[in-house]
Amino acid sequence: MADLSVNLAGCRLANPVLLASGTCNYGEELAELTDLSGLGGVITKTITPSPRAGNPAPRIVETPAGLLNAIGLQNPGIDAFIAHRWPFLQKLNTRIVVNIAADTVEEFARMAVRLDRLQGIAALEINISCPNLKQGGMAFGVDPASAAAVVRAVKQATELPVIVKLTPNVTDITQVATAVEAAGADAVSLINTLVGMAVDVNLRRPVLGNITGGLSGPAIKPVALAMVWKVHRAVRLPVLGIGGIRTGRDALEFIIAGATAVQVGTATFTDPNAGIAIVRELHQYCVDQGISRLSDLTGSLAT
Amino acid sequence: MVVDEWARVVRHRSVAAGIYSISLEVPVIAAEAWPGQFVQLRLSDGIEPLLRMPLSIADARPDVGEIELLYECVGPKTEALSEIRIDTRLACLGPLGHGFTWPDSAHPSILVGGGIGLPPLLFLGRRLRAAGYAAVLLTGARTGEKHLPVAWLNPAASRVMQSTDDGTLGHAGLVTGLLDAELDDVAYPMVYSCGPRGMMAAVARNCRVRGIPCQVSLEEYMACGIGICAGCTVPVHRSDAGTHSAYGRYERVCVAGPVFDATIIDWDG
Repeated sequence: MADLSVNLAGCRLANPVLLASGTCNYGEELAELTDLSGLGGVITKTITPSPRAGNPAPRIVETPAGLLNAIGLQNPGIDAFIAHRWPFLQKLNTRIVVNIAADTVEEFARMAVRLDRLQGIAALEINISCPNLKQGGMAFGVDPASAAAVVRAVKQATELPVIVKLTPNVTDITQVATAVEAAGADAVSLINTLVGMAVDVNLRRPVLGNITGGLSGPAIKPVALAMVWKVHRAVRLPVLGIGGIRTGRDALEFIIAGATAVQVGTATFTDPNAGIAIVRELHQYCVDQGISRLSDLTGSLAT
Repeated sequence: MVVDEWARVVRHRSVAAGIYSISLEVPVIAAEAWPGQFVQLRLSDGIEPLLRMPLSIADARPDVGEIELLYECVGPKTEALSEIRIDTRLACLGPLGHGFTWPDSAHPSILVGGGIGLPPLLFLGRRLRAAGYAAVLLTGARTGEKHLPVAWLNPAASRVMQSTDDGTLGHAGLVTGLLDAELDDVAYPMVYSCGPRGMMAAVARNCRVRGIPCQVSLEEYMACGIGICAGCTVPVHRSDAGTHSAYGRYERVCVAGPVFDATIIDWDG
């Protein structure tokens, strides 16, 4: 029996596989189709201070080995989240990470204060990397000083572990990672989607209503791996690897490159059971390789 | 109950120009399927194509454990599907979404289909008739060779009328023209429609003006099909938009639909 558990900023996860924000909504739909309790955790779709309607259609398009989306953080807002979504999530037998985004540092802090009062949240994930918003969103995540300001404010507002979700749409992701580490972040997750675009040549128009979107899926995995490796070397914080993970081998690549845990996103759209299958494959790998503790592999890349 | 079932391809054939019928052995889905619902078919275990393909159920036969899907070959994904051979096994997630509801009266309802919007209406017509309701089917296509043979349409309705944009088969003009003439003549209790957005918008407008209930089955680009990605939304009219509902002025087609009461769709949005 291999030990798949990991310690993420003081929070123990049964295994290192979490469902990524924006790819599992608030758990209700997937609970019918997969065993959420078999995962390391579930990360909610981003919630914002007020409800957001999201972007006009089309919001998604498939690209080679990838998915381009511009949903626009459609969500019910923190009030409705607490009233209508949290009661269900709270009862799930898995770790729940709540992902938050806001337009100002003060709003980030106010959300953290309110969520701090709920019983049972494992951690907050700060989304400073959504590429599909006109303001806020990625604007914080591309500037180390702004990112650090958000993290400081949230850390002051809550006792919960704070994970900062980083954008790859920067010149040097390690600069943002080191800035949020200095500001008190407990972990970083990366990468959010890469800005991308698709064009309809018959209409000579962008395919997406938002013109540009965020690219996810296997197409971005090599980019994500390189960034996880760089950030792992640059900071002492645990790293959650994200980007095109759809098999146990994909997850292992991230873990070996430096990830303490991984997030599965787009793969769940094709297979609602993808996360659970990855957990099973990780366990089988450990058995086959005679590895007693999977966490020993984190950052074991021989270079 | 939604299941991810291993489907075996039992039949796969061309039924009109570029239009194919594929029958799958999926006993659980066949037993549960309701007209208007769809399945998500996985064409590859690999990464091309990455996402499943949503297809409306054209018929379900619990007695033999089969469903039938109809599709038009229009792009790389449907071309890949058209090459799938008999006895191939594919992961099939379903039945998904909310389907049609019955009319208040057993008087004939009208089913209005445009192009490849026909499949859910064929399933609906069969089930309506099996339940003792009557149905009239109006179907439009660009040209005659794009029409399904009448033998495929007859089980779904007691009367079938066809139109073509180019006049090569049936009524020359849009299927909405046929609908207008019918609604002028007879008081129908319900109009069901599926097809291109512009056609459904015209049908919905016509029904609203006449005060006839209308249900539409929407087709939107989908990723997950199960309500977790929020990619397939449509604008809706709703008084509480953006306050209590998670999805505010945009509703997810895959779980709230694909069948909607036509009056809640914001056709201009």
